[in-house]
Amino acid sequence: MTTKTGRSVAEMEPEKASQSASQSSELLLGLYRSMLKCRMCDEKARVLFKQSKYGGNFYSAVGQEATEVGAAYTLRDDDWIAPSHRDWISNIIKGAPLKFCYAQLFAKATSPDRGRSSPAHMGYPPLNVITPASSIAGQLNVGTGVALGLKKLGRDTVVVAFFGDGATSIGGFHEALNFAGVHRLPIIYVCQNNLWAESVPLRLQTAVTDLSVKAQAYGFPGVTVDGNDIMAVYDASVRAIARARAGEGPTLIECKTYRWYGHSEIDPAKYRIKEEVEAWKKKEPIGRFEKVLVEQKLLNDQKKAAMAAEITAEIDEAVEFAEKSPYPDASEATDFVWA
Amino acid sequence: MARSLNFIDALNEALHQEMERDERVFLLGEDIGVSGGVFKATAGLYDKFGEERVMDTPLAEGIIIAAAIGSAMVGLRPIAEIQFTDFVTPAMDQIIQQAAKIRYRSAGGFDCPITVRICCGGGVSGGLYHSQENAAWFVHEPGLKVVMPSTAYDAKGMMLAAIRDPNPVIFFEHKKLYRTAKGDVPEGDYVVPIGPVAVRREGKDMTVLTYGFMTQVALDAAEEMAKQGVDVEVVDVRTLNPLDKDGILASVRKTSKCLIVHEDKRTMGIGAELAAIVAEEAFEDLDGPIVRITGPDIPAIPFSPPLEKFFLVNKEKIVAAMESLAKY
Repeated sequence: MTTKTGRSVAEMEPEKASQSASQSSELLLGLYRSMLKCRMCDEKARVLFKQSKYGGNFYSAVGQEATEVGAAYTLRDDDWIAPSHRDWISNIIKGAPLKFCYAQLFAKATSPDRGRSSPAHMGYPPLNVITPASSIAGQLNVGTGVALGLKKLGRDTVVVAFFGDGATSIGGFHEALNFAGVHRLPIIYVCQNNLWAESVPLRLQTAVTDLSVKAQAYGFPGVTVDGNDIMAVYDASVRAIARARAGEGPTLIECKTYRWYGHSEIDPAKYRIKEEVEAWKKKEPIGRFEKVLVEQKLLNDQKKAAMAAEITAEIDEAVEFAEKSPYPDASEATDFVWA
Repeated sequence: MARSLNFIDALNEALHQEMERDERVFLLGEDIGVSGGVFKATAGLYDKFGEERVMDTPLAEGIIIAAAIGSAMVGLRPIAEIQFTDFVTPAMDQIIQQAAKIRYRSAGGFDCPITVRICCGGGVSGGLYHSQENAAWFVHEPGLKVVMPSTAYDAKGMMLAAIRDPNPVIFFEHKKLYRTAKGDVPEGDYVVPIGPVAVRREGKDMTVLTYGFMTQVALDAAEEMAKQGVDVEVVDVRTLNPLDKDGILASVRKTSKCLIVHEDKRTMGIGAELAAIVAEEAFEDLDGPIVRITGPDIPAIPFSPPLEKFFLVNKEKIVAAMESLAKY
């Protein structure tokens, strides 16, 4: 459910996702499948890392799937995504072929950036997913610039920019949202507030309860939603996207959510207490939505197993492609410096 | 037809003409619209092209550059102005981590054809925060082209080249040149390619490698040396990255002596790289030490007149260096 700014996550229904009776079963199952695919792909990425199949690091978004799927599910091919390091799965939602997503992790010559960026820092230019830098909130600034360009070109194309709670503290956040407000740019800022910026808790990040209140200072709407409730994120996003397409300007959507694992695969996250993690796992988005779909008789164990089998086959094929792909030749390191 | 124009009027003409020619070009920066810029570099553009194409921005350098980068990624040709180089630091994340790297990190998936105009330089009683140069910060970043023209002709021709370049170009404008560098500027369209050096004065006895406002000062010093019978060649390294190594080395090999002059601080400055190139690739051709005349290693140009004078390179300092180098 979408709530007005000011409602804390404790007041939200923890166990079950809200439902939207007016939505087609095709959409509901599509959202579910997309979340399940993201979860399975992400978990596979973690396993592959732990098996030392690739180096560097990985930033898992397990637990946060509803924020990504809900926000990006309805985007068109010509829409843009400005992801952060934790939004590898946003490429999958946008439609990037899975084989390229794993090739990215493996830093192979077949990856979209030909092995340049760190594993999780993936973009997919053919579908306008911006290859991210590691600078926190940098994607908000570049994404805002893209939105300015799209507005100047007179297009009805929009930008979805993803970021965490930590990114709201840095100056670039303010500059981006302020500018977008002034020029009523077609951008949706999706804050995945997972309560922790690496090891720093939200109380040391901000003095406000809901990060969405910050939008007020920039003159556009800010909403806080239960980020583990897919339909809440979806509804808020659909409204924000429609608003942006209509030239009515930006929206800040704060999704209260939680990452199951550490900041990265080398972070055991000992700064969090077990009770907190367990409580949030009970509120995780896929299981909650599953209950709704089962109640509506849209999903049963058999269908779910078939879906999972399909996704597993897709992942296996993609991983095989990535593993078999060659590394880039060392001589390629000097390519793409100059246009 | 060429007529004599000030550096700043030549720049202004380039902006007018390119905005007429290419509707993808737009300007953004602080005070560039209604007021025409603090030095009037953008005068008349707002009235002609309107606020959509000549955007007065919030006072926030980071988003000025980011707005340019993003717009360029969707196919526009933005020209951002940083009012003083002393205020570019809030935009460094965008320039260094985004503009210089977006093409590289996306393997050519996204391009960033932006022009960043930056006003720089001392000698106008600007004090610590209206006098810096800082070009050295940017030449260390492959992916950024960095230019600093020294003549009115180059101001227009290199501006047109910068806007049309598919890479991000950092375009330094030394504020002392705005109304002192006057010269013939063709009325029509022409491009001065980014890259090649310009030999401003031919000579056989000694090479001076310099750029920006110091080119003028070095030319004055060269005339002084001519009276002493020393024939100095002045090479304007108007593109600071990528460097025209061949042009630099050709002059040094001819004269066998190399003096490097710049206004900015000394340590790890642009002169250090120029000296390294000459030492590595023309060592056998040298008759004397490579000499640098630069600003001192103090944080910035202080305000009080005697302190400012201490910092700045002038004709006398260059002549003294030339005289001692000529003895080899």
